[in-house]
Amino acid sequence: MQMNSLFRALPVLLLCLSLVQCDKTPEQVENPPYPETRLDENAGTWKTYILQNPTEVPLAAPTDPTSAEYLAELDAVAALQQNLSGAQQEAIQYWGENGVLRWHEIARELAALYNAPPKNNAEGTYPNPDPNNPTSFPRFPFANPPYASRAFALLAVAQYDALVATWHYKFTHNRKAPYQYNNQRINPMLPQSDLPSYPSEDAVVAAASRELLKFLFPGEKEYLDGRATEHKNSRLWAGSNVQSDLDAGEALGVAIAQKIIAYAKTDGMGQANAQANFPNLKADAAARGFTTQWTSRDLPARPPMLPFFGNVKMWNMTVADKVAVRPAAPPLPGSAAFEADYKEMLDLAKNRSREQFRIAAFWADGPGTYTPPGHWNRKGEELIRRARWNEIRTARAMALLNTAMEDAGISCWDTKYYYLTQRPSEVDSDITTSTGIPNFPGYTSGHSTFSAAGAEVLSYLFPEESSTLKAWAKEASDSRVYGCIHFRIDCSKGLEAGEKIGAFAVARGRQDGSE
Amino acid sequence: MKKPILLFLLVQLAYSQLWAQMPNDGLMMPSKNWCTMLQASDARWSEYWEGRELRSNDNLGTFINQSVLLMSNYGINDNLNVMFALPWVRTEASASYLSGQQGIQDLSLWLKWQFLKRKFGNHTLSLQTTGGVSSPLTNYPADFQPFSIGMQSRTASLRAIVHFSLANGLYATAQGGHSWRAKVEIDREAYLYDNELIYDNQALVPNVVDATFRLGYLSKKIQAEAWFDYNSCLSGDDIRYNDMPLLTNYMQRSAAGAMLKYWIGPFAVSVGGNQVLAGRNMGKARTLQAAIFYQFELKNTKN
Repeated sequence: MQMNSLFRALPVLLLCLSLVQCDKTPEQVENPPYPETRLDENAGTWKTYILQNPTEVPLAAPTDPTSAEYLAELDAVAALQQNLSGAQQEAIQYWGENGVLRWHEIARELAALYNAPPKNNAEGTYPNPDPNNPTSFPRFPFANPPYASRAFALLAVAQYDALVATWHYKFTHNRKAPYQYNNQRINPMLPQSDLPSYPSEDAVVAAASRELLKFLFPGEKEYLDGRATEHKNSRLWAGSNVQSDLDAGEALGVAIAQKIIAYAKTDGMGQANAQANFPNLKADAAARGFTTQWTSRDLPARPPMLPFFGNVKMWNMTVADKVAVRPAAPPLPGSAAFEADYKEMLDLAKNRSREQFRIAAFWADGPGTYTPPGHWNRKGEELIRRARWNEIRTARAMALLNTAMEDAGISCWDTKYYYLTQRPSEVDSDITTSTGIPNFPGYTSGHSTFSAAGAEVLSYLFPEESSTLKAWAKEASDSRVYGCIHFRIDCSKGLEAGEKIGAFAVARGRQDGSE
Repeated sequence: MKKPILLFLLVQLAYSQLWAQMPNDGLMMPSKNWCTMLQASDARWSEYWEGRELRSNDNLGTFINQSVLLMSNYGINDNLNVMFALPWVRTEASASYLSGQQGIQDLSLWLKWQFLKRKFGNHTLSLQTTGGVSSPLTNYPADFQPFSIGMQSRTASLRAIVHFSLANGLYATAQGGHSWRAKVEIDREAYLYDNELIYDNQALVPNVVDATFRLGYLSKKIQAEAWFDYNSCLSGDDIRYNDMPLLTNYMQRSAAGAMLKYWIGPFAVSVGGNQVLAGRNMGKARTLQAAIFYQFELKNTKN
């Protein structure tokens, strides 16, 4: 009978369709390894940021490739290669692509995970993340855009300085990759290279990145140890390094990372959140004529984000440079220029198009994301991957890009708390936004400053992409207008300042010995 | 009774009570009869579940989701109905500076088939199944929860219904369904899913199961009903600490509601309401609804 067959068929059908459910986990895009395009034999002479010279951290000479010790190391690699698991083969491919970029991916993921403003407690105040208890909520750190920009810069500088020293020692000792000495028993699992393998650039990058990220994200020590161990081991599995290449790289990476961490401990970040001194900033801004001042849009009112981040030590600029690029005072409420910007906001709040909404969302990079500097790192990485740059050129590019963006953040925060101007929605509550309003003053736009600085550096590195990059920076800047997060003047002046800030990094790049 | 649960969980709160001849009730529209309904809903919540933790948020105040739903049901014959629904939705939050949204949401279509109807004395048992699809009609932003008017996901659903009615008009209905929801393109290139950064602009929207139990009374003039409803995603992640909800969230809720419907000639009016009792990654919403119906029989002109 009809109903009987249906009774049987229905549950089966439902079950079958339920199986469609199984693939509800997102898939990650992978990037395959590529061959080295150049060796950059003289990279050991490139200008470093913190290291005084490439031999500041001494490194012992390696054993001779004909020595019994080295032959035993080759045997060990050959033995490891006998039984590679699927997971080990995946690790070879994953880390073999570009270790510098892989660690920036990890940094971006941590930045996104820790980009969560504290929740207010019952008394209407906000607890501070506790560096001594980093894994309980609110977790430490709150990786807001200034924090992230500094984290990415410190990571990039550690990788770059460590790799300059690495290149120096590589071409001093000239010990080749294992497969160059025994190509019968060592199977190169990655594109072959004539780059000397002592010390291992991958071990240096893994160790330096791990140490920096542990310092910046102290709740992730175990995770970071695991990633670094896998990174280093993948070089043995791939036949690219022997253990002593890794050990030398580990020691060099750790020692140089410690120098960068020592710098970071004295760069002024420790004083960036001195809330007790915020009234002084308000009084100073009032004395400059800015009496209608920003207040927190959060309910309950949240203390301003890092009011003294503008005093953090810059990478490519002096304090005088910072004062020189600080944009002139914005038009005051009541002026014709202010009223024009105000009317634009009201109109956008009422008539925001779907495309304007999309652009505002695309560049918003708010809580739970890798922040605007992370967005520009990703743009940079796509270009680096396409150009198939080696580790040292990659590290140089990421250092130029990220020091410029931290400088942009510092300069922008200096400006924000110098003028303390209001957000559009403070001026008129009819100006509603399409994304969250960050918890700091309006003028100038951080997105605009970060983006222009990033685009400036990437345009120097990839001149053929310049017009696209500048258009992206303009769109990122406009996105804050479309979202009604910023008045037009906040964004246009932020863009101008960002370009100037990026130019300082470009000037450094032109003279760092790499051209 | 219930709404197109299939559409999605948040907005579903806004029009979760339709009665009579809905995709998930136990009633059928008689052959050649056509009923059209216009329903207004007001759902609001001032507490929501961040993961499993019930909280309020001063930055939202009270969240309001209002909708007007046009729905129509036609009896192809006594055992086969076709129906559609089209909601217009608006959202706002009383204390937020974020822009409320409004617009036409998703069009839903269903076929409902009564494949068994058996009398036991004066009592009747019937079994039905409903299959449906839905698709967004406008390009509203989806990655702006809870303000988005919908989820921008194309869906398909399948459900089974058991309906038992007594001669005196009392009835009981149980139903269960499964909805499949397609991934949604969002306006950005990366998002966190379950503490992992996904480099993609396609957000995976979890599939949903739901079940409803109803007790009611139906006469020529009046229908009264009380119901309990449960629905749950089959995958997904929790709202992140102190963050906005995402399309990928594991939403779950149980709710209880009631409705009363009264016929005046070819017209009917109904009022109803429901309260979310427990949930996860959703608002603890209370919904009030009122609807008018118009039903008529198409005359057979072909003899």
